[in-house]
Amino acid sequence: MTESGLGRADKLSRRALLRTVGIAAGSLATAPAFNLFPASAQEKASTELPNFTGPGANPHWNSVGPIISEPQKAPLILLTDRPVQLETPRNYFASAFTPNEAFYVRWHLDRIPNAVDLKSWRLRIEGNVSSPQALSMGDLLRKFRAETIAAVNQCSGNSRNRLQPRVPGGQWGNGAMGNARWTGVKLRDLLNAAGMKSGSLQVQLQGLEQGEGPEGMGSRAFMKSLDLDNPVIDECVVAYAMNGEPLPMLNGFPVRLVVPGYFATYWMKCLTWIRVLDKADENFWMKTAYRIPDTPRGTTTPEAVKAGGVKTVPIGRLPVRSFLISPDGGGKIPAGMGVTLRGVAFSGFSRIAKVEISDDDLKTWKTAQLGEDFGAYSFRTWDLPWTPKTAGKYSIAVRATDEKGNGQLDEPVWNSGGYLWNKVERQEFVVGAAE
Amino acid sequence: MKLRTLCLGLLIGATGIGCVAIVEHQLGTYSAQNLGKISQPAKHELGDDGLYGVGDYPTFEAGLAEGAGRAETQIYCSSCHTPRYITMQPPLPAATWDAEVQKMVKTFGATIPEADAQKIAQYLHEHYTPETRK
Repeated sequence: MTESGLGRADKLSRRALLRTVGIAAGSLATAPAFNLFPASAQEKASTELPNFTGPGANPHWNSVGPIISEPQKAPLILLTDRPVQLETPRNYFASAFTPNEAFYVRWHLDRIPNAVDLKSWRLRIEGNVSSPQALSMGDLLRKFRAETIAAVNQCSGNSRNRLQPRVPGGQWGNGAMGNARWTGVKLRDLLNAAGMKSGSLQVQLQGLEQGEGPEGMGSRAFMKSLDLDNPVIDECVVAYAMNGEPLPMLNGFPVRLVVPGYFATYWMKCLTWIRVLDKADENFWMKTAYRIPDTPRGTTTPEAVKAGGVKTVPIGRLPVRSFLISPDGGGKIPAGMGVTLRGVAFSGFSRIAKVEISDDDLKTWKTAQLGEDFGAYSFRTWDLPWTPKTAGKYSIAVRATDEKGNGQLDEPVWNSGGYLWNKVERQEFVVGAAE
Repeated sequence: MKLRTLCLGLLIGATGIGCVAIVEHQLGTYSAQNLGKISQPAKHELGDDGLYGVGDYPTFEAGLAEGAGRAETQIYCSSCHTPRYITMQPPLPAATWDAEVQKMVKTFGATIPEADAQKIAQYLHEHYTPETRK
């Protein structure tokens, strides 16, 4: 939680207090009994979130949109409705796997599929190949070996609303991420079936999504490409199942590409065209969008961007992140009562090796217990018993380290795309008197 | 690109016209709804077709601020996306809004006459900067 976050909470409680005092003084005759409680006891019920945050950082765990209900989805936080962008509420991250109906949604262009006809739909593998393929869902289910992998899908712009100064774009809180067991066909098996010809350089991915823009522009088609010499090609899965069920339409039915360890921009939804290219893809979504500064942590400054000359590269693997999910700070903890801190951690580089917690402003760290290991690219749950001895305000910080030694710093990230945020997270707790 | 109404968008979506549409899918259909209702899972009819659909996606009033330039902003921006792309943003400096309008025209090909693009930028300055946002 940031300084401004603290300031805001204080301001809200002052406002709530004033309101309570006003009601108590001005309309004693009709004042219901609950107004006898101090404002702090009512804060959650009486404080409505604003419709936007800023220009400071969003102090909340999630973004602040309304809760809405889309086809096949649980009520989620609305960022935009055309095209659809929905954020997953914090409570869904208490377990290693995110339910399909709660999985966040992010589309780029407004003509997204409402219906897909599997009698005519074919996954096409074309381009620089000797035998182009057009495979039905039945072909994918029967003709190829099924592969299952647990992998985190995180939007490149997850937590964009933490950046200072704020940057335009989808104003995600922390909930543009999810973890699922993905089942499908290995991309390598499909490329082998089509027989890549010599000179092949990249594989381009396109789904059914279309936009209203002119032909040849990024506003018409969304396409991403991966280098064929990238080792991740051998880990990619064209997934027809998500947590053992068909994909929700909004998450990419009938199939989406799973690129373990990589940001979601490459995980093409409603994947329909796999094109083998013999030269580098220069479409807007590769050449201009989803690029990060070629600097440590991908961080730079507005001044450096304005001055020009910040070299960029396509966004790639997920930096290490860790989150405290529960308790969420919405209630007070009595002094002396033990609670269990719980959350998840992940890395796009290797297995999570360690999750640590500090309750003294990062001076000392305690190691949390890690939950079941579902593979290097999965969420790893963690928990740690915590017993605050005395009343007061506590700030709990969480950080993770992966097996390759990648960790998290307590320093912000800034780039003009609003990507790669992975600063150490904090959660405030108020511990009250118990006697 | 001509300025398209949502209805035309629906028609195109429903008939599957488009450079890359080689199969009969339904794309981009939305219908206006009010906030506050929770949908329940829909039942599907058994048929011999291969159609897997979910119906329309709901859209909601974005709540653009009242003022000069609101109509132009609503109409032009809605040809490609909900104006909620504006209301979702934090307060942004005027220069950032200018750059966004230019990006829509130059990078994404939105056909907005220069005079209207200026009206939209002015509207954004008057309602969505750190100094003006309410």
